[in-house]
Order: sequence, then C-alpha cells, then structure tokens
Amino acid sequence: MRRRRALEPSPAARIAWSAALGMAVGVVASLAAIGFVDLVLLLNEWLLISPRSRFMQDDRTLLLVATVLVPAAGGLVVGLVHHYLIPERRPHGPPDIIRAVQGLDGVVPPRSGVLSALTSLVSLGAGASVGQYGPLAHLGATFGSLVARLTRHTERNATVWVGCGVAAAISTAFNAPLAGIVFAHEVILRHYSLRAFAPITVAAAVGHVVANVVFERPPLFRVESLNVVAAPEFLGFILIGVAGAFVAVLYMRAILLSSRIARRVPVADWMKPMLAGAVLGVAAIGMPDILGIGKETLRFAVIDQAFAPGELAFLLVAKLLATALCIGFGFAGGVLSPALLIGILFGAFAGNGVELLVGEFRSDIAIYAICGMVAVASAVIGAPLTTILIVFELTRNYDLATAAMVSVVFSNLVAYRIFGRSLFDVQLHLRGFDLSAGRDKVILERRSIEAHVSRDFVSLAPDLPLAKARSRLLAARCHEGYVVDTDGVCLGGVKLAEILSNEEPGEGGGFSSGEGVGALAKRVEPVFTPTTSVWAAMERMGDFVGETIPVVEADGGGRMLGVVSEAAIVKAYREAMDDIRREENAGV
Amino acid sequence: MEVGNVLLFPWTAASGIGRAGTAARAARAPVSVARAVAIVKAAAGAAGVVRGVAVPGPGSPPRAVRWLVAAGLCAAAALPAGAGAATVAVAAPADPYRAITVATWGGPYEESQLRAYFAPFTERTGIRIETERYAGGLEELRRQVKAGDIAWNLVDMTMADNRAACRQGLLEPLDHSQLHPAPDGTPAAGDFIDGALTECGVAQIVHSMVAGYNRNAFPGERPTRIGDLFDLQRFPGKRALHRGPEANLEWALRSYGVPRQDLYQLLSTKRGLRLAFARLDRIRDQVVWWTSMDQPVQMLISGEAVFASQYNGRLFDAAAVQGHPIEIIWDGQIYELGTWGIPRGTRRRDDVLEFLRFATGTHPLAEQARYIAYGPARRSSMKLVSTHAETGVDMRPHLPTSPANFRTAIRKDTEWYASLYDRIKSRFDAWLAE
Repeated sequence: MRRRRALEPSPAARIAWSAALGMAVGVVASLAAIGFVDLVLLLNEWLLISPRSRFMQDDRTLLLVATVLVPAAGGLVVGLVHHYLIPERRPHGPPDIIRAVQGLDGVVPPRSGVLSALTSLVSLGAGASVGQYGPLAHLGATFGSLVARLTRHTERNATVWVGCGVAAAISTAFNAPLAGIVFAHEVILRHYSLRAFAPITVAAAVGHVVANVVFERPPLFRVESLNVVAAPEFLGFILIGVAGAFVAVLYMRAILLSSRIARRVPVADWMKPMLAGAVLGVAAIGMPDILGIGKETLRFAVIDQAFAPGELAFLLVAKLLATALCIGFGFAGGVLSPALLIGILFGAFAGNGVELLVGEFRSDIAIYAICGMVAVASAVIGAPLTTILIVFELTRNYDLATAAMVSVVFSNLVAYRIFGRSLFDVQLHLRGFDLSAGRDKVILERRSIEAHVSRDFVSLAPDLPLAKARSRLLAARCHEGYVVDTDGVCLGGVKLAEILSNEEPGEGGGFSSGEGVGALAKRVEPVFTPTTSVWAAMERMGDFVGETIPVVEADGGGRMLGVVSEAAIVKAYREAMDDIRREENAGV
Repeated sequence: MEVGNVLLFPWTAASGIGRAGTAARAARAPVSVARAVAIVKAAAGAAGVVRGVAVPGPGSPPRAVRWLVAAGLCAAAALPAGAGAATVAVAAPADPYRAITVATWGGPYEESQLRAYFAPFTERTGIRIETERYAGGLEELRRQVKAGDIAWNLVDMTMADNRAACRQGLLEPLDHSQLHPAPDGTPAAGDFIDGALTECGVAQIVHSMVAGYNRNAFPGERPTRIGDLFDLQRFPGKRALHRGPEANLEWALRSYGVPRQDLYQLLSTKRGLRLAFARLDRIRDQVVWWTSMDQPVQMLISGEAVFASQYNGRLFDAAAVQGHPIEIIWDGQIYELGTWGIPRGTRRRDDVLEFLRFATGTHPLAEQARYIAYGPARRSSMKLVSTHAETGVDMRPHLPTSPANFRTAIRKDTEWYASLYDRIKSRFDAWLAE
C-alpha cells in the first residue's frame, strides 16, 4: 500500500510503469503466439496433415489411416480435457474475453485459458478445421489478466492489461501492429481511452518487433503491386461486400446449428470431438484441402487459374461444413482463419464471375479474392476497422485497402441487420449475456445487490400483539416491518398505518388488539434474493412504492436475510456507472 | 539415397581460381615457404603418394632424422621470410603418425579447402590432412561403417546426404557447443546461418543455384527478379535451364508471388505442381535444356542463350575471372549447404574434432571465400571476407550469403528432395515428353 502511494503522485513514474507493464504483457503474449504457431506447424508436419508431409509419405495405407485417425485421436484428447479438466466443459475463446472485459472485472481464468490453448494446439495440430487467431488472442488475454492480478494493488483497470495481451497476440500473429491495437479496442474494450491506448500500443509494437525483427515471420499473404483498373469496379466491391455478408451469416448460422445438433446427438460429450474428427478425416481422404488452417489454399486463391470456378464453390461449401462440424462438435479453435479462407474462396469465385461479365477489363483476381476475404471475416468477428488495417499493413497497398474498405463496410452493415454484430456477440447472447443493449446493462446484470443488503429491519413474530408491533415500529422509526416465523421465513410485510387502523376495535371489524400481527401480513412484491442483479432490481422497482424490499434466500425456502432500500439500489447503479466512466475516460 | 545428380556437386570441376596445377599455384601464391611445404605435403598426402624426404610417411627415416629435416625446413623458411617469420616459429612440425583422412570433392573446391584450412591446420598442429575423393552418396560410407573398417575420419557432404546418413546411424552426433564462438563472443549456435547445425552435421559453406544472364542481350531494362525468367515479352530470348525439376519448379511457382517459405508446401499439392508446370509451359519453346555443368556458361557466352541457370561460383568465374559480360540475378537464389559429418566409430576422434573446430572457425571460413565464390556459413566470417586471391575482386557482393543477395534466398528443402526426387523427376520427364 505504501508503494502505491509512492507511485501515484508522479506522472512520470505512472507513464513508465504503464509502458513497462504493456511491454511485459506484449513480450510474453507475443512469444507465446510465435511458439503456438510454430508448434502447430511442427505437429502438422509430424502428423501428416501438411501437404508436404503427406506428399513425402510413400506408404499410401499409412497415409490413409493417419488421415482418419489423427483428427479422431486429436478429438479424443480435446474431448477428454474439456470434459474433465475445464470447469465449464467447453473451450474458452474470444467471447470469454469480451465477457470478462465488458463485465469490467477483467478476469480470464488462467486454468481454463491455458487448457484451452492446449486443446486448440491439439485441434489445430491434428488437422481440425478451426482457426488459430482466437486461441492466440485468448492466450494473450490470459497472460494480460495474470499480470493484472499480480499488479492489482497498483492498477485498478484489469481490462487494460487483457487488451494488451490481445493486441500483442494479434499484432504478432498477423505481423500487423495497427490491426492489433484496433482489434483490442474494437472487439474487446469497445471504447477509447488514453489509459488503455498507451500500454496497448506498446504491447502491439512489442509484438510486431518480436514477430518481424527477432523471428522474421512470413506474412499471412503477400500480393505484389496490384491496382484497381476501372472505377466501376468499386460497384463490384460493394456487391462482394453485400454477398459476403450472406456468406458470413451462412457460416455463422452453420456453426450455431451444428452446436445445437451436437447437443442432441446421443453420445457422451467427451466423445463428440472424436466423432467429428473421424468424419472430417474420411472427408479429407478425397479433399485434403479442408484439413487444418488451410494456408496453402489461401495462397492459391490469389493466383489466377489456380482453381476452376466450380472447384472454388465446392471447396467453399466443404470448408464451411467442415468448420461448422469441428467447432459445433467441440474442437477448440477460432473462427477467423476458416472465415478468411471461405472468404477468399468466395472472393475468387466472384472475381471469376466478374471476368465473365467484363472480360479483360477486370483488375487482378487477387483484389477480388481479398475483398471477399475481408468481407466475410469482418462480419464474422465484428471488426471492420481491424480487417481493413490487416489488408493495409500486410500489402501496404492503398488501392487494395480502399477496395477492401468498401466491401467491409457493406458486409458489416448487412450482417448486422440480418444476424448481429458478430458471432462472438451472438454466442454471448445465447449464454445470456446481451451486449446489444449496451455495456451498462451487462455490467448491472453482473453485479448483485448482495453487498447492499441491510439487516436493519423490524422483524415481527406472527403472534406478536398489534400494540407491541406498533411500539416496536415506532421505536425503530420505521413505517413497515416484516412478519418472520420461528424458522426465519418471511410471511409478509405489514405497514404501520395498517396496524394503527386495525388497533381501533370495531372499526375495521374482525381484529382485536389481542390478535397477532401475523394476520395482517401481506405478501410483498417484489422480493429479491442476494443474487438478484442490480439491473433486475432497477427494473422491478419500477412501480414499487415503499421503504425497503425484502431479500430472502435464493434456495426457495424464503428465509429472510435482510432488506434493501431503494436508495441502496440507486447507489449501486451509480457505482457501476462511475466505474465505467472511470475506465472509459481515464487519462494515463 | 543419392540425391539428384551433378547439380548437387557444383565444385567438382573448374570454378573459383585458375587452371594451374597445385604445386605451381602454391609457389605463385603469396605464402611463406613453410606454408608452401605444408601445402605440398598435404597435396601429396591427398594423392596417396609419398615421395621425397620432405614428406615423411610410413617406412621413412627414424624419428630423429625426421625432426632434423623438419627443423631444417623451418630454418630455411625463416631465413627468406625475414621479419615476417614470426608465424613460422609457432608452426608445429608435422607428425607422420598424426594424420586424418577427409573425404571431399576434389577440384577447385578442394583447392580452396587446402589453402583456407587444411594447410594452416597442419602448420598449426602438425596433424596432416589426407584427402580422398568423394562424389556424394552414402554407399561407401555405409560400407565402411558396416564393415567397421573406417578409412574416413570426416566427410564433406551435402546436407541432404548428411541428414539421411544421420538417420541411418552412419554418423556421430555432434555437440555444437564445442564449436568455436565468433570473435565477438557470439556462440556458434547464433553465429551459423539457420539450418547449418544439425544433429550430425556442421555446415560450412553455402552454394546457390542462380539464374544468370548476358548483359549484352538486354541493353535497356535488365532482369532483376527471378520471375523475369518467365517473362518472354520484356526479356525475349532463349533460356538455358537444367534438364530436371530442381530450381525450375521452385522458380516457376515463385514467379506467381508465392512466398519463398511456402514453396515446398505448395509444390506438394497437385495444384502447386500444375501451376509450376503451367508457368514452364509458357517458356517451353524458348528453353534449351542443359545436362552438363559446362554447358550453361558456354551457352551464355556464345549467345545461344540469354538466361542460364547455374551455380553462382561458375558464373562468378566466368564473369569476374574470365571477364565475360555475365550478371547474376540473386533474387530467388536456391541455396544448399556443404556439411561436415563424422563417420560413426571413427578413430582419432580428438584430432578430428580439433580439425572440425578449426575448419569451421570464423577466419578459415572467411579465408576460403578468397579462393571460391561460395558463402561461408558463419555470419561472422561474412564480415571478414576480403578480395579474391587471384583477381583482387572484392568477394563480398559475389557471395550467396552477402546480405543483399541473401534477402530473398530460397532454402533448398533437402528433406523434400531426399524423399521425393524420383517421383518429381518422373513427373518432370513426363511433362518434358508432352
């Protein structure tokens, strides 16, 4: 505590500390990302997933057996780890980061984080059709959250460090620092403040340095000197954007549908990924392109004449189905890499279509392919700015970035209308975490009223005479009391005014001063439990008039725990709003 | 396990320095007399012939006499060398019973080895280096190891063969931490270029397949990228290419803009091969296929071809030494590593390791580049490379590992070729026959 006081007064020390932490998170997240990517490549080489290792394998029978068994065995490992070691029995991913950050606590559980990274590694290594960027971002977030936990005495905003981890991971993985920074803001933090921006930038820059300078990673795709030939082609890019949105929605719906089907399949949960792996393997015998991340296919798609149009469409559908199968049936992994691949196939397909229409006057097919890629990908992850920047940073081509921008914007507009902001948000919504109404609702829903429950209320036994009940209420200066039986169960509320009016014999009839106060008890509405969220409390308080609301145990027994006043709920609400304001508007 | 053919052995014939005999060149070169003697001794040892008193061998005079002879030689060397004789004083006398046998490739390449580290090593330690001719492949090595009759102490082999031999247990595993660090203290592991240190191998030299062109054929714009090889509109004319898949497939696919790190992954797919052959189809009518190492440079000089694929050392020789108007396109150079391997169960292991440490040191590797235009496998050596011994040409810009040349280099996937050569070759032949 003394240390905190020593650090806080000096802005220079704060800036240095902030940058140092950003750097630390950046280094760790970025090295982890590189290690992860390299391990996946190695596994693919060893397990006969990569085209090179498959081509070099002389023994056709072994190859055939491995194609089916490797994904199935990977699925078994993944299924067992998820089922027995991860508390939620599912892999964690970007939705969990968003939830942790939007809910303001910034806690990404390290155990689930590390185990999810491990199962993602196994999934990708064994050739499951899933993505690698989601696991990388989540691993980065896990490290960020860990740093936040270690420095919680000096740093109040855990979310910033989670953002740093994500930014460094994305910056490293794509070798695109700007995209890393923007992704952390656009998808994870969803607000802009200098306090977050500064360390996140440091982390992203570190990721870039590690990826580019220390390890010399090859870029995700490289296209050389392209430009848009004719202005009317921009109309084509708009159409690609709109159509890309439909492809993206189809992809996302397929994933959600596959999860629903998986839930109904009468097989033990831990066996489901194995099942999916076996199906994938059998399909891959005829079509090895659907295995793994599919980097080779991505490379081919920007080459003219690498595919016949029919091949493109066929592969697109196959990849879409394979990914939906793998993710729906419980493989761990992201959704972005397959979306990039599906998108680029779609874009190349569209480019072929344009060629049929205008022939020679079309720009290079790579431009169409990349527009299609970003149109689909940005709608899936809900990150238009990030995807535009990725294109710009990887190609440094202004023409291409401009074309991509047009496609991205239209794709996002359409996808937002017919599906939602992103697959992540929709998945969170299905888990009861609705970000569409804004962040305040989410935070208020996550905060319970428990801390605001007061034990300061008048508890009246049912057989207490009215006169005594009255004097106790008057002594406590309360207008209402609660009738609680010997087991502590709340039987109802009673108002002082009612006691007074019933004390006059003969007037109200029926009651005499000799009868207990229990007869006057009325069911009260609303009744809260300690887990009632501040948001729900605010909603239900709408037409409530009174001093306090009773809080009873959540187990249904109705044991009275205390009361919560309207003022306390308003206070809880204001606290939440203050926290959000503090996070979103903080300086360095 | 023999991978490929003549293409793998670029140094077996003329390259680097002139065409004079060993002894004559040794006398002409600016080395001390003692060194010249050492060179002669080593050369004689290499030939497997022992003559004269200066080179004692089995059955030569008693030890004391030999010491006398050696001392006399030292004195003789010291007299004319004058003030510069300080180095001679430290030279250890050659011990006839301490010799190691190195299997290497002969020709100008072996010449460069002799000058850069065989002779200096003998001079320093007294351990003689005897060479035996090796022409790639694992048959002889396997025979020796199986029979327990190991005549070779060290083999200079291609990385592909080294890997295969290591996998078959024919080579000793090596502890790379024993190698000398760079002069600035960088450990060997950080100083050697990527992929140079393997389980049983230490690569010492980098040689590259490049495309060269005749300057006079392109008075205007000149080709700068390997993709230009396939651009008949901008750069018309015949191309002399090796009649085989190596380099041709890599370059063809690279010309689509495929990143060099992904070439072999993509060539491993039907689609990748189809695209590569489609690109070769484009220039098929303009290709003259060469089958012998001597052809491409001749074709460039005679004007029969405007482009030719060839090892960089030979193109350097033609351009810098012989003065022909030949330029090298370094973009897309495909490099491979020449690698030392120690046969399993070899004798005199301490001497062998001492030689290996010496011969892979920063200075000897830098020295070698004065005699042949192949790149040292150490970064620190690259910084010390000076001029060509014969012509005085600055060697740095002519080496494959020179940073500007190396930036877009393609690392030949020796494992890929090791297991696929036959399949790829028959696919290539089928395409040729189409």
